[in-house]
Amino acid sequence: MSSPLFERTVTALMQEQVICEISDEELYNYLTMPDSQESVNRFLGQINRTLRLTSAQDAFVCAYLDLSRPEAKEAVRQQFKEVANHLEAFVQFLRLVMTLESGDRPVQPGDKLSEGYLLDRITTAPALESKLRSLAEKKIFHTKRADTASQLRSVLDSLEKKGYLKAIGSSGSVYRATGRWSWLYDVMTFIQAHEGIPQEEEAAPEQMRLD
Amino acid sequence: MARVQDAKSTLQALARFGGEILEAHLLHGNRLVETDENQSMLQTLEHHRLVWRIGDAEDLQLKKVLVHFLDHITETERRRYANAQVSHLWQALTDLFTDYKAAKVRSAFDDIDRLEGEIKECLAEVIEDIRNATEAFGAYINTGFAYVTDAELRIRENKRVIEQADRLIQLFESFKLNELAEQAGTDPFLKRLLLRYLPATLEASQKDLSYSLNQLRKMLVRMRENQRLSRLVGTFEAYYINHPGFEATIDHIDFTRLPEAFNTVSPFSIKGFGDIYDPADELILIELAANARTTEETAVPVKVVASATTVDFDVDGEVEVEESDPVEEAIAELLQLVIDGVIGHDLILASDALNRSGLEVERADWLQALAAEIEVLPDEDRQFIEIHIQHTPDPVYPDNLFVYDIALRQAHEK
Repeated sequence: MSSPLFERTVTALMQEQVICEISDEELYNYLTMPDSQESVNRFLGQINRTLRLTSAQDAFVCAYLDLSRPEAKEAVRQQFKEVANHLEAFVQFLRLVMTLESGDRPVQPGDKLSEGYLLDRITTAPALESKLRSLAEKKIFHTKRADTASQLRSVLDSLEKKGYLKAIGSSGSVYRATGRWSWLYDVMTFIQAHEGIPQEEEAAPEQMRLD
Repeated sequence: MARVQDAKSTLQALARFGGEILEAHLLHGNRLVETDENQSMLQTLEHHRLVWRIGDAEDLQLKKVLVHFLDHITETERRRYANAQVSHLWQALTDLFTDYKAAKVRSAFDDIDRLEGEIKECLAEVIEDIRNATEAFGAYINTGFAYVTDAELRIRENKRVIEQADRLIQLFESFKLNELAEQAGTDPFLKRLLLRYLPATLEASQKDLSYSLNQLRKMLVRMRENQRLSRLVGTFEAYYINHPGFEATIDHIDFTRLPEAFNTVSPFSIKGFGDIYDPADELILIELAANARTTEETAVPVKVVASATTVDFDVDGEVEVEESDPVEEAIAELLQLVIDGVIGHDLILASDALNRSGLEVERADWLQALAAEIEVLPDEDRQFIEIHIQHTPDPVYPDNLFVYDIALRQAHEK
């Protein structure tokens, strides 16, 4: 007897989706139940895959059980390249939102991002418009449009397509950050350690923000 | 009547100099420092007997009654020192009971009456202060320390409050209710306070406090994580600024020790055929097939307007030829030669192959590309290649090896 929730969950996991409370509450709740986890893991285990939680314990991802196989290595290498290629753009986006929200922490799963609010704040300062323009020139967010509203829309659309944001409501201009950010922070933490990138002193980002 | 007038005028003086009095109470230990500007105020307060001093050289002090009143009205400030406040009251209560017991032994009935009154008041204050103290921690949780803008200072404030809550819990645990209960005597009101209200208040407060402490600790963990992430973003931001074009790589990572964050699967499409072998699905399949067919048949024909210009599309569509990568091609040829060429037991050096290819590629890039290609070869091809990595150890850290060439040989069954 097939179970629709099981099928949806496994399909989503195998399609490289990160399942969290924001991206799909139903599947997330399903996976938080030990019995469901076990049955999903039992199935995944037979095809060299397993269920994993991000270190913030707020999102589920599907991982390879045995990474020594060439196809698994190649897949992981491709995903890493994808992140590494766009990481600078993600970092710039995070800093821009931190500046706009006057916050001392980057975007985290569950955070609400309103396109209208962000646009209002960006248009008040040419420096912020310039930062957005620079962001819109990055490959992942690229747009040929020159106006601030279209550039912001392009950035948010790209993040939604990549699964980092989920539109809420019917207007399509308010988003919630998903658990994919947790995964990205895990990857960044690894890159920092692996590449020996020195920890910045607390004051450094502040100084850069003034640039 | 005159007394009422005096009292009214005293209250007016309090209202008029409220700011200064509060400042003296909260910041200067109830002392009013004499200056040229506040002479008139000090005279007014002296006139209403709200301040005192021993000698002219001393600063004026707020009178005890006023201090007590200020203690009462500045509850928020008192909450901050709830630990000391409750402890102080508890000590006062214990002393009162000692006196009460002594008065009873001596049958000093007036003192017994007076002490009973004081014990009741003190006990009521203890209960109120315990409640206030506990509520204060709830307030901290609700605000999330948002009134402190700097992350580091917020973490410190959170830690300080956790220590306060810890101290308060320890204080509550030190209360010996049983001993006090024995001293309640026969007074029904006192018994009710000691045996019912105080234990109930303490129990509820301890419960609330434990909850608050737990929440505060969670908040602290969250704040630290926020701080860590914020620094992480700052670190990368600075690194990208200082190292333009930086791109992280995992080419030289040991895949068996890859952190979980990287180990996520590539999309894997799960599709199946319609089950045309099971009669149970027949109806659904017929419907699907019917819809699929009618889509084309019922398509509304497009009317071509005579005046409109027609657009001709190339039948084959635009073809974009992907340029081949000469490095990839050279590596493919090299591997093909090793796998099925007639080379016997000869070794082929990757550096030689590069020199002969005429490609202008860095040797390190060439070796890396070659290693990557070998790694992704299917097993049936990979088994025909013997790889010998040529390397030298680092003079300082001999565990680190510098790879300077790769030698390939056709693998032959032994």
